[in-house]
Amino acid sequence: MNLTFKIYRFNPESGQPPHYQDFTVDVKKGETVLDVLGEIKAHQDGTLVYRRSCRSGICGSCAMQINGLNKLACETQALELQTATVVVDPLPGFKPIRDLAVDLEPFYEKLRSILPYLINPDPPETDKERYQSPEDFAKIEISISCILCASCTSSCPSFWADKSYAGPAALVKAFRYSYDTRDAGLRERLDMLDNKHGLWRCHTIMNCNDACPKKIFPTEGISFLKRKVVENKY
Amino acid sequence: MHYKWKTGMWAFVFHRASGLALSLYLLLHINVVSSLYNPAKFDNTMGFLGSPLFRILEIGLLAAVLYHSLNGIRIFLIDFTNSTRKHSQIFWLLAVVGLIIFVAGAYPMLHHAGIL
Repeated sequence: MNLTFKIYRFNPESGQPPHYQDFTVDVKKGETVLDVLGEIKAHQDGTLVYRRSCRSGICGSCAMQINGLNKLACETQALELQTATVVVDPLPGFKPIRDLAVDLEPFYEKLRSILPYLINPDPPETDKERYQSPEDFAKIEISISCILCASCTSSCPSFWADKSYAGPAALVKAFRYSYDTRDAGLRERLDMLDNKHGLWRCHTIMNCNDACPKKIFPTEGISFLKRKVVENKY
Repeated sequence: MHYKWKTGMWAFVFHRASGLALSLYLLLHINVVSSLYNPAKFDNTMGFLGSPLFRILEIGLLAAVLYHSLNGIRIFLIDFTNSTRKHSQIFWLLAVVGLIIFVAGAYPMLHHAGIL
């Protein structure tokens, strides 16, 4: 079935403003948007730039906006979108570098700011690993599946308006460690979480929950953290 | 920047808009109340506020107060109870509650104004 792909094109070296370019591709059942981009790059326009690596929903490289929603191109079957024209944009909220590739440095910077690693000054009780019960693991299990694709943070209007806002991905990581029974780093993360560019910038717009390809529901983690911060304060 | 608008986005935008409208109303309200010290000015203001336009705006005030307070309850539930995943259902449930209160409140107001 022939579908039109309206793809965002931008090359800072060309001096041209960003624009859309249409490509017509014969899409077969089961083919993903990433397959189509590969098809276009191989047979129609070799200058098309996009990121991809694992093509199986694990690396998080191919997150982009497809028909107005952030998705992984490799997990989105083109025919299932059920539109004759598929609009493909780079992730919103980040600076486009070229075509569908955006500068994710601000995203990583936010992630680093919440100290995304286990903090515990006390040595483990035994010389083996720190014990975590299956029940305790279950509490944070879903948030561990984050692949850092940036779909959530990029879908967040609070992040668009406030580039200092940590964003859902970093806050989910903060939840993942703060609710880990082996971690004792909440105090160190508190300053970053409990300010107007932290947890309280979340206005529960909920775009991040729809955008997450791993069904993490970042707002839930953020609400848990809000409670933890309030408990800690009063 | 653009993104498909869903319940959460609408809820947020209406919350902001009703919040700003209520702040503006508060300023007008203070201005009206300040005319209490001058009986002639007070009567004049009250006559002006009795016009059908202000009756309609008064109903708008009811809508803004209802929306802002009910959505405030929704945000509280989302943030501080384990109901984050049910945000959309809570929105529609409170929308029904709000609509009932709105009709119950707006009808006597319109009736009093002689419109209904």
